[in-house]
Amino acid sequence: MDLRLGLTCVLALAWAAGPAFAQGASAGSEAAASGRATPQKEQFETRLAASPLTDGTRVNITGEGRAHAELNGNMLTLTADFHGLTSNATTAELYDGPGIAIPGPKAFDLTVTPGMSGTVSGSVTLSAKQVAAVRHGHFYVQINSQKAPDGNLTGWLLPPHADPGQDVPVAGAGFLPQFDVPAK
Amino acid sequence: MKKILACSVLASALVSVSAVALDNGPFTPDQSRAGRALYAANCAQCHGARLQGAGEAPPLSGATFIAAWGNRSSDELYNLVKASMPYGNGNSLDADTYRRIVSFVLAANGAKPGATAFTGAEKLKINAIADGKMPAELAEAPAAAGGGGAARPATSYPPGRFGVTVAGALKSYDPVTDQMLAHPKDGDWLMYRRTYQGWSHSPLGEINAGNVKNIQLAWSWAMNEGGASEVTPIVHDGIMFLSNVANTVQALDAKTGELIWENRIGPAPTRAYGATRSLALYGDKIFVPTTDAKLYALDAKTGKIVWQSVIEDAKEGYSNTGGAIAIHGKILVGLTYCNRYETKHCFISAYDSDTGKVAWRFKTIALKGEPGGDTWNGLPDEFRQGAETWIAGTYDPELNTTYWGTAQSKPWTRASRDTGGGSTLYANSTLALDPDKGTLKWFYTHAPGENFDLDEVFERVLVDHGTSKDLLTIGKVGILWKLNRVTGKYEDSAQTLFQNVFTKIDPKTGIPTYRKDVQDAKVGEWISSCPGPAGGHDWPATSYDPKSDLLVIPLHQSCVLMRAEPMEKKIGVGGDAGSQRLFEMPGTDGNLGKLVAYNTTTMKPLWSFQQKAPFLTGVLTTDGGVGFVGDFDRRFRAFETQTGKTLWQTRLPTSVQGHVISYSVDGKQYVAVETGLGGGSPVGKPTTLMPDVHHPNNGAAIFVFALPDQR
Repeated sequence: MDLRLGLTCVLALAWAAGPAFAQGASAGSEAAASGRATPQKEQFETRLAASPLTDGTRVNITGEGRAHAELNGNMLTLTADFHGLTSNATTAELYDGPGIAIPGPKAFDLTVTPGMSGTVSGSVTLSAKQVAAVRHGHFYVQINSQKAPDGNLTGWLLPPHADPGQDVPVAGAGFLPQFDVPAK
Repeated sequence: MKKILACSVLASALVSVSAVALDNGPFTPDQSRAGRALYAANCAQCHGARLQGAGEAPPLSGATFIAAWGNRSSDELYNLVKASMPYGNGNSLDADTYRRIVSFVLAANGAKPGATAFTGAEKLKINAIADGKMPAELAEAPAAAGGGGAARPATSYPPGRFGVTVAGALKSYDPVTDQMLAHPKDGDWLMYRRTYQGWSHSPLGEINAGNVKNIQLAWSWAMNEGGASEVTPIVHDGIMFLSNVANTVQALDAKTGELIWENRIGPAPTRAYGATRSLALYGDKIFVPTTDAKLYALDAKTGKIVWQSVIEDAKEGYSNTGGAIAIHGKILVGLTYCNRYETKHCFISAYDSDTGKVAWRFKTIALKGEPGGDTWNGLPDEFRQGAETWIAGTYDPELNTTYWGTAQSKPWTRASRDTGGGSTLYANSTLALDPDKGTLKWFYTHAPGENFDLDEVFERVLVDHGTSKDLLTIGKVGILWKLNRVTGKYEDSAQTLFQNVFTKIDPKTGIPTYRKDVQDAKVGEWISSCPGPAGGHDWPATSYDPKSDLLVIPLHQSCVLMRAEPMEKKIGVGGDAGSQRLFEMPGTDGNLGKLVAYNTTTMKPLWSFQQKAPFLTGVLTTDGGVGFVGDFDRRFRAFETQTGKTLWQTRLPTSVQGHVISYSVDGKQYVAVETGLGGGSPVGKPTTLMPDVHHPNNGAAIFVFALPDQR
């Protein structure tokens, strides 16, 4: 689905959401059998880092960024910023993989600033299956560039998790997506 | 007309990856001729004299190479070679050298030289110019590169003589006994992980959480360069025995760092991986398993060779990197680089400490007709390879059982191996052996039919919980396993970082289930694996602190897309046959390093922290409640074992790499750590993923710290 900047009308559909997330995840919507409960907004975020690379392609796959997405019913709104590319960004997309860190097919196009730094944005309407996929960490953002047309920056949308800082100990094993992102 | 036609063909080939076959070119005869010598000097040690591949160095000729590279372009090959080779020292040669080497590789695959010089920018489809058939005149390996403009290998060792290069003698030496090994003095570090149980823990407590911030450098000593350095110093009665690259062993006064004797056993290192991780002591001798797959016994007092035995033929690529363990007068060693198709297979072996005579060998591959031989999908024996043992085992004196881990089967992926869903015994297993006879007591397979270079080969840590005699180990996939070490029965497991390889682990048996796409993967398909080949956990060892019952684990966090490449079923062909594209592990925010402490009774994590650079040393814990670890970004730190809080750190000249130990001399506690370079994935992956982390390509040394003397 192609999206346009300046989309002003966001349809907020009442949505009977699934069970609440497991530990560490953002608040989920309550199951609303009657369909009358207003779904809570769910947050997702990711660091945008180099897409899969080798020593040979590393020179063209540079940069980093951050993306944030909000799921409101079945509307996913994403914003991101990036910098440090070695060639101009060309396109940005949302992909739907079969699992966390597992590539899958493109789901949506996003709007990207055509520069070596800039922003990404878009709002998309998801199917029920896609809503579940977002909640399960299967969606990822990809920014392509002139020199890296098959992927320059990538990041998997996951629930927000604490970043205590470099070498600051936390209790437990920290954020483990296979446990802290709902699998079902 | 012909010339114009040839030029226009070449021009159109340069515009895009062209499928137009070239009769000649894209390199000149001079380039491929010079490239042959340069290949011999810079590449052959890893990729083989006949480009046949070995270990992580894939074949560069033949059907396997064409299958991997045929549809790719020549500039992609050139760019990859230039950026990453020689291994660990990419882009260190001049561009012309790379062009010549790539020209030779193309020629070795049947491409014909022409009138136009190869620039590296050409976008020619490789299978349009090469068919994988090596011309007869190139089939013989060239004479050893000497003059003729052959470049000096980037990992070359400074020239010098071998043998006892510094003669000296210890004033006295207390022979090491079985009793000493089972119950070492607090101030000694007699073996790889200090004790038979593999704890990497020191009972010394002079340095504690309160005063560690005051430790200072006591002495340091530069070490050999030019190969992989992942050493563990061994200390007995105030003498440090230190292995260096080039299989060099030194005896140093552990208090002052003064050199007493040195024996450069050799050979010189010619590649950036293949370390000597440790030595063994027994009786009046030091045992040195060398990178050319020999075992030497040196007189501990003088360093002179007493005997030497061949473990396997190094000319066929075999090596020993895991060190040795001494049990009941026998020296047990593993073997590695068992990844060529051939009639031999990997094994663990034991040698009489007095004579060097082979006592027994245990083959780590189950052949046809043998127990477990039906787990290889019916492959002929010569195509069953891998299961290397590149970390020395541990030992329970009470049970008289030695515990070893094995690596995965080779090549890496099921699709390349054609092993189907078979578990490929005894790859990726814990083996419990009788150290006197070499017989198998039990085995447990952690990752049956492994697919991503995710070894389960590392230290087996022996811990008693009440009456339960347990064994803990963690492999590259980052699962901490707990087994009963009497029976081999699975007890528990814990996932220490993100992994997406297994969808579930059977709670009763521990048997993992691979993702469906992993099970169904075909040659040529890119498949995701988190973690990737650097782990998870790798050779930087864990440390068990008995006071807190914590196992402190250094972890690496990165992922890979791996593509199975075809492996020609032909004797002599070898390698791992897996192409890789690396990427950041989701949810880690760019932190490749993670240190985590697990309670080994409950198997629950107590604390963890992350940092950008991965850890490249084993962890040391001490009775002072302090742990030590070093990393890729030159940091060496002390942390509080109970909390993970950093108490002290310093920056050393290059990557901190090796194993940290603690010992005492005249009642004073010392902590020793090494800086070093080289090695496989634990170094290779961060080098690729973290180009903003810089450290010099030299600076191997040992640094010894202590509290200042009380005045």
